Amino acid sequence: MMQQYFTDLVNGIETSLKEAPERVSPRKRYALEIARLGTRLYSGDNRVAWCGVAAPFDVLNAMGVTSCFVEFIGAMLASTGAIGPMLEEAEHAGYASDTCGYHRSVIGAARKGLMPVPDFLIATTCPCSGGLATIENLSRFFQKDLFVLQIPQDDSDKNVQYLAEQIKDMVAFVEDHTGETLDPERLGRAIENTNRAREIMEDAYRFARTVPSPANGRDLSNFGVVMALFLGTEAAVEVAEAYLEAYREKVREGTAGVAGERTRLMWIQNRIQFKQPLVQMLEEEYKTSVVIDELNDITWDPIDPDDPFTGLARRAISIPLNGDVDRRVRHLKKLAGDYRIHGAINPCHWGCRQGTGARGLIQEGLKEIGVPVLNMEVDCVDSRNFAEGQLKTRLQAFLEMVQSQTSPWN
Amino acid sequence: MMESKNERIGFVCAYAPVALMDAAGFVPYRVLPMGNWPDQAGRLLHDNLCPHVKLVLDRAMQDDMPDLSGMVFVNSCDAMRRMADAWRRVRPRDRLAMIDLPVTRSTASVSFFSGELSRLRDTLSEWAERTITEEDINESIQRYNKLAGLLQALGERFRQGSDEEGGAKLQALYNQAVTEPILQTLEGLEEMNRTEVQTGTDGHKVPVLLMGNVMPDPEAFSLLESCGVRIVEEDLCTGSRMFHPMEVNEDGNVLLDLARGILSRPVCARTFDPDRPGGMAEDIAARARACGAQGVIAHTAKFCDPYLARMPSLREALREAGLPLLVLEGDCTLRSIGQHRTRIQAFVEMLR
Repeated sequence: MMQQYFTDLVNGIETSLKEAPERVSPRKRYALEIARLGTRLYSGDNRVAWCGVAAPFDVLNAMGVTSCFVEFIGAMLASTGAIGPMLEEAEHAGYASDTCGYHRSVIGAARKGLMPVPDFLIATTCPCSGGLATIENLSRFFQKDLFVLQIPQDDSDKNVQYLAEQIKDMVAFVEDHTGETLDPERLGRAIENTNRAREIMEDAYRFARTVPSPANGRDLSNFGVVMALFLGTEAAVEVAEAYLEAYREKVREGTAGVAGERTRLMWIQNRIQFKQPLVQMLEEEYKTSVVIDELNDITWDPIDPDDPFTGLARRAISIPLNGDVDRRVRHLKKLAGDYRIHGAINPCHWGCRQGTGARGLIQEGLKEIGVPVLNMEVDCVDSRNFAEGQLKTRLQAFLEMVQSQTSPWN
Repeated sequence: MMESKNERIGFVCAYAPVALMDAAGFVPYRVLPMGNWPDQAGRLLHDNLCPHVKLVLDRAMQDDMPDLSGMVFVNSCDAMRRMADAWRRVRPRDRLAMIDLPVTRSTASVSFFSGELSRLRDTLSEWAERTITEEDINESIQRYNKLAGLLQALGERFRQGSDEEGGAKLQALYNQAVTEPILQTLEGLEEMNRTEVQTGTDGHKVPVLLMGNVMPDPEAFSLLESCGVRIVEEDLCTGSRMFHPMEVNEDGNVLLDLARGILSRPVCARTFDPDRPGGMAEDIAARARACGAQGVIAHTAKFCDPYLARMPSLREALREAGLPLLVLEGDCTLRSIGQHRTRIQAFVEMLR
């Protein structure tokens, strides 16, 4: 099912690319890479590793391993409307329905034979305890070896060194399982690609800050977190370039992503992955654009090709969801100022203790700079309990309040 | 021994290195999730968050605890991390320390954790305005080893005895051991060990292994026992898991010994061995068989991801071992455990 879905998606996008390349949006170029990753994961021809979100995917790409964080599959299942039976499968097997739907769906998919059997798994302690437990459970289910990367809470030299050594150990673990050693030249090229993609993404984000923003509310959804999967490859550079070119052109022309942009919002943590009308409603009824997602930011310095593991460790530690909430709130405040937002939406993904657990603290933090936050109660992948009417009403009330207030940036 | 000032250092997680706090001359004080306060923590955090953490935070917001010279948090899970964040907000004048806790027990993890303990030692030295020496720590570990031995011996006597309130009494001792000065607790336990406990098991009660995370209220044990349960072994973070003897190498690095000792205890579900994914399930099954339990009761706090995620594999392992499992999810209050009375009674009936 999934293999067919991804193959059809690749074929469809490649056809439209050939027919009218000038009309292909950067989002479509990005979707093509997602579809290609999906085909590699499900083809049965590639070495596959299921990972935690903070794994160094550029290193794994350099080692010829098709690797992916498991939440990606949860999001795919949700976006294709196929998630319900997976969640039910996991719940019938005893996984509590008040745990994270991303993780439950992945467990359900594995039990239904819809997750490719990995060659091995790499867990990361960041961002959450639930994700870590899921990888451990998948390792047990598939009876495949597991490596754990312990991501420290801050970037003290000691912590960075500790993680850098673990990444080296991870390389040895992968080498043991693939029978192939990491080619330093391939790693060097991967780091070069990572740094290039990083720089281009940073430029693209800079354009997205323009008032009005060239980004609409959908262009960059899930972008930052998913781009991590392509780091180290030429594809990451190409996707980033597509965004940069499109935004540069729009800014030059003065074209807004949302025509008549009136209000700018920040989306905190996860997007809602299944089809729903909320973002469209914001754009059409309120001329409101989600111009920045929390995870669409470069929080790390370029990686030194002569000392890659230190840079990779620093990058993993720098993820906004890592560490204490004050650090996260500082990052959100910085984004709020950079993008001159008027309000923020926190979907409070049901079952996410790590992110949602900080709901009140984030709200208080952003309030300090005059940015109101709408805390919604929604499961970002499970559409079964999606209260569309209620959420629309709450969003409408929020927008009316935000639009009646003076911008915090005036 | 370093002179005790009877000033308290608060902590919440069972992985907190109480021996270090004691070595600094402080009384480690575990802020247990007890009391009946209006739920305010959910406003700062989220209602869908571990009730252990929310109850402790409610106590902090109500100032329902003795004066503390500082709080030590352990980064053991998402909820604990968020509680430390919220604590800063609700009690901004408290001195806080947070240490990271590896999820595995590898050599690298032990070494990293000893570094975290070293950092904490320096902080505690600052708070205590005195230097904590290796000898101080060594002596403290010995005291806690003695405490662990006494609690273990008493636990065995209670479990083998016919005292209807044995489980409740033992839990009260555990609570005392994590909130009162250790010397006072040791004295009391030694006295208790010299006295007789009722002997002879009650044949009508069904032996079970009780496991899970947080269950500090002694009355909860009375309730279980009143349903016909005899707890022959227990694995709770508010119970025996806090206290396990650890080895100290005379000529070694005492913080490394402490780190190894803490990580080598029976694990909370958040700690695991990557070479044996889900191995906690088999470990519990083996312990249940070894202690003669006829079944296992797992009590977990609602919304506790580490435990909830491991329940299916536990159920599977126990099924293979022929041991029934009863899972109780609660909010750490006696009220929620009371609501499970009928299920516990039915479980006991099934086992008879």
